[in-house]
Amino acid sequence: MDVEQNQAELEDAELVRRIGTGSGREAEAELFRRMAPRVRLYGLRHLRDEAAAEDLAQQVLIATLESLRAGRLREAEKLASFMLGTCRMMVLDWRRGAQRKQRLLEQFGADMLAPAPIAMPSLDQAQLARCVQTLKERERAVVVMTFYDEQTAADVAQFLGVSEPNVRVIRHRAIHQLRACMGVEA
Amino acid sequence: MLADYWLAALAQSEEEAIEAHLFSCDECGRRLREVIALAGGVRQLARQGDLLMVVSDAFVKRVAAEGLRVREYAPPRGGDVQCTVSAEDDFLIGRLGADLTAATRVDLCICDRRGVEQFRLPDIPFGPASGSVVFQQPINYAKAASSDTMVARLVSIDEAGRERPLGEYTFIHTRTMPGPGAS
Repeated sequence: MDVEQNQAELEDAELVRRIGTGSGREAEAELFRRMAPRVRLYGLRHLRDEAAAEDLAQQVLIATLESLRAGRLREAEKLASFMLGTCRMMVLDWRRGAQRKQRLLEQFGADMLAPAPIAMPSLDQAQLARCVQTLKERERAVVVMTFYDEQTAADVAQFLGVSEPNVRVIRHRAIHQLRACMGVEA
Repeated sequence: MLADYWLAALAQSEEEAIEAHLFSCDECGRRLREVIALAGGVRQLARQGDLLMVVSDAFVKRVAAEGLRVREYAPPRGGDVQCTVSAEDDFLIGRLGADLTAATRVDLCICDRRGVEQFRLPDIPFGPASGSVVFQQPINYAKAASSDTMVARLVSIDEAGRERPLGEYTFIHTRTMPGPGAS
């Protein structure tokens, strides 16, 4: 565990402490600023929908705040783990059709800070088109089949007549090349 | 690894480890957002039908299932087909039947009406047992093109670099859309 992570955990622990003692409107704002992007990414990955990811972020942050205000998080340095666990539970609940959001919003929503929208990197589509066209044929096929068609490595491998690990190598190379072509740090 | 995570292609233990890391590393979160943006950009590009590339049957089925309009031509090997595109078309697909069973590398050459090669897609993906190569022509290019004839040629390349023709396919394009370039 590196110094930076230790520092973040200390800061997380301090946030937890301040929120728990009821002295931290600023600490609550910092919690939202810090954790909302992480929760939203988790939501994007599992729910595949930006609006749903925003809803999840709000729901998880509200539930976390509820727990912190009540002093229910015993190990303050485990805030990130606690929130990840909350994300997992809520996505499971979501999938089961459970709707805690409305109740929590009614209970805590009046004075809640809304999670700030998280900016996704914007892409120059014309440049991306040029970059995609510069890929080798197999790389282009892998990228399109992967990201448009969301085909598994096994499906792509079958189409290309190569092994699954080979598909991952081709995909990795293609993404690296696209990022470099787009001027994104490779 | 982040691309595999986004694609849900990791084992559960790997996925859990990455998620724990993402909850404490904003730099990796930023990189994941880049992957997501790239994935979205590629998806958008693919849906526009403007890439020149070899595609799979699954791809053609997917775009059709999305409600996009696919125009497909399959000239016989050594033969030709009359073709056009309309304003409503979203995708233009050419299907080239060929015996690919003995091929290890195949190039797709795009030629003019006289058969003179203009450019080629080297080392295209193909299934040896598939019996065909399916390729997508940029739809907006086709919509803007004037009436003309294009020859697609498939060649196999052996390990010594020798070319062997697998087939030629002639597309006789008649422009039916009004606008610049219409006769």
